[in-house]
Amino acid sequence: MKIYNTYIMTVSTVLLLGTVIMTAMHVNSLATYYTVYAAAALTITELFIYLNSQARHNLNIISVMLFAGFLVALSLQIVKILT
Amino acid sequence: MHNKNPYIWGGLCLLVTGAILLIPAYFVLNLTWLVALSVCLLILAFIMLALGNTVPRLSPEVCQLLLETGIDNIATIVEELGIKTKAIYLPSSLTNDTKPRALIPLHSGPGKPNILKALPQRLITRYGTAPDDIGLLLSTVGSNAIELVETMPGPTPGELEMSLTNLFRGKLGVADSASVICQNSHIEVTIQNPRIENRATWSHHCLGCPLASIVASFAAEAWNKPVAITQEEFGKKQYSMIIEVLD
Repeated sequence: MKIYNTYIMTVSTVLLLGTVIMTAMHVNSLATYYTVYAAAALTITELFIYLNSQARHNLNIISVMLFAGFLVALSLQIVKILT
Repeated sequence: MHNKNPYIWGGLCLLVTGAILLIPAYFVLNLTWLVALSVCLLILAFIMLALGNTVPRLSPEVCQLLLETGIDNIATIVEELGIKTKAIYLPSSLTNDTKPRALIPLHSGPGKPNILKALPQRLITRYGTAPDDIGLLLSTVGSNAIELVETMPGPTPGELEMSLTNLFRGKLGVADSASVICQNSHIEVTIQNPRIENRATWSHHCLGCPLASIVASFAAEAWNKPVAITQEEFGKKQYSMIIEVLD
């Protein structure tokens, strides 16, 4: 299960580091935070090619959920620009 | 609830913490960074729950117990018979089975035995026409590890390397990576950071250590030819072996 621990540690470090950096940069948009989180999580999941098929299947479901959330955030921004 | 693994517990804790933080942060405090932190915790919680559902129910201790029992039984048979010859790993096409097996010839001759047709599925089997051509046909760790991979590797170093790394790192968690170099009929495999200790037992002398057994079984299946472990070398952080493909 060493690969699971490495994967979780990598995602946690990147997401929390992203939060600290964006907070320090006074980012005030929740959509920006979410987009960075989704992009980081999706990229790291793709980089861990040696995860077993069942773990990959479950993580793909999480990836779809994250991408759906990103699409919602994007459409809200588009609506905001148009109105 | 007692069967839940640490990933599930960690995921549930993060889920509760994230939900508790999110509501006041968004509706009362109106702090964007705190809301973002809650979302971050929720994402991590879902990832841990997703991974937690894929962890095997058997603990590593039970798996080790089963492995050692199997190895001890093989060691007892090999030691009782006083066999000193090295095992030949046969592909499934030569064992009348779906998985590769190891053949230990009972009598050591000058050359390696030439096996051309599939052997019957018996513990003590005849592999040639000479009266001494009798050997033990055993199922090894590698025989069963073959079933863990989705696609069988082809007879190229790249495919074997990918398959072994996928198994050792992703599925079994017993090593970090494997590198494969092919030179004529010799395959040199180096495993980085192995986490299975080598025991100098008689059965290890015949069959090789569990990692070597897995590599040999994969090589036999990939090349569809009998193979033998000719050299094993344990370093501090790596374990290398040379496998000979027999014609």
